[in-house]
Amino acid sequence: MEIKKPAVAGTLESSDCMVTVEPGQGQVDLDLDSAVIRQYGKQIRKVIRETLDRLDVSNAKVTVVDKGALDCTIKARVECAVYRSNDIKDNLPWGGVIK
Amino acid sequence: MSEPYIEQVDPRDARGTAMVDELLEREGIRRDRNLDYTCAMYDENGRAIATGSCFGSTLRCFAVSGAHQGEGLLNRVVTHLIEWQAARGQFHLFLYTKADTARFFADLGFHEIARVTGKLVFMENRRGGFPGYLKALEKDRRDGVSAAAVMNANPFTLGHQYLAEQAAASCDTLHLFVVSEDLSFFPFSARRKLVALGTAHLPNVVLHDCGPYIISSATFPSYFLLDETDAMAGQARLDVEVFKRIASALNVTARWAGEEPTSQVTGLYNRIMAEELPRAGIRFVELPRARAQGAAISASTVRECLRNGDFKALEKMVPPSTLSYLTSEEAAPVIEKLRRADSVAHG
Repeated sequence: MEIKKPAVAGTLESSDCMVTVEPGQGQVDLDLDSAVIRQYGKQIRKVIRETLDRLDVSNAKVTVVDKGALDCTIKARVECAVYRSNDIKDNLPWGGVIK
Repeated sequence: MSEPYIEQVDPRDARGTAMVDELLEREGIRRDRNLDYTCAMYDENGRAIATGSCFGSTLRCFAVSGAHQGEGLLNRVVTHLIEWQAARGQFHLFLYTKADTARFFADLGFHEIARVTGKLVFMENRRGGFPGYLKALEKDRRDGVSAAAVMNANPFTLGHQYLAEQAAASCDTLHLFVVSEDLSFFPFSARRKLVALGTAHLPNVVLHDCGPYIISSATFPSYFLLDETDAMAGQARLDVEVFKRIASALNVTARWAGEEPTSQVTGLYNRIMAEELPRAGIRFVELPRARAQGAAISASTVRECLRNGDFKALEKMVPPSTLSYLTSEEAAPVIEKLRRADSVAHG
């Protein structure tokens, strides 16, 4: 999917994360802030990258401010931001690229 | 017990506004005069327990009730404001906050740009924002003596030209910054074009855009909209701190400005630069104004003449390039706006 315009999803509350996607400069640039970056930084980046790959996003600036979210939450927030950027609100591909 | 909820505080909502003011007051914060959105979080009894506001691309005037600190309410208020800004297409956000609360915002994805020690910290939600701006500037770093000036040029007058000429003659390279914020009568594209035309005869002038960092509505809202003196002074000091970083990226050792006899905010800004810049090894040069027919030339006088349709007087105050723009079709809507404005003195 193409990142057409900036979009944000999630919150800054504890156990959540806020994901902002913006049009990129030819690749995926990921900026991660996390309260638990030392313990889980690698794992969080992996979840974000995998989710973007599954959605076929290869050109985006992605900013994630993590407040200790679980993997499933991070995945859901990334998906939501990407779909919002494309103004897709209905007929989401549950069970398809969103699984 | 019901969850606290967040709602906009309409400026006409006297009760909500009074509660927000009380929260801010207890934190020692005076509500900024220029805000375009304010929200509050209410407890189950309808009492405001946290608040935050927006102006332009900034978040500001935060407070959380003492009885509710440590509950993560600030996170919810900031989330609400980020969503509100996103809805109107603002994603690059700024805030300034007291030095002792900066760490809370650092945990919410905000990165420090500059600080006035012990007072204010200026932050943005892009890790590479200001460092990227400085890095781009460094490409224009030149050997030899470099000076800088910042102008809004609303519009470019013989006074601006005189300042640029004097400053350019004093150094090997003059870095001339044009205020990018579109809050003035003349749009940025026109102001920049007139500065370029009016300094085309000076080969050692390098033009730059201020971007969101110097004299922008993020760092310095009272430059564009009047505010109280202490607020203006705090913002001016912050702006000077940002400029110091820019000066070091460009190896600038002098800042030039026109003497300011009338505008209160620019006068204050000059005074603070005269105080602060020498401490960072930067000379501050305040140049007496160029004069026409016995009076100092200023952009506000030019706007006054435009409003009154006095094109004859203009010839003595603006260079031919500006005059030809002012008499063109392109300038017609701006002049129309000037004619209808209550006051053309500020901005």
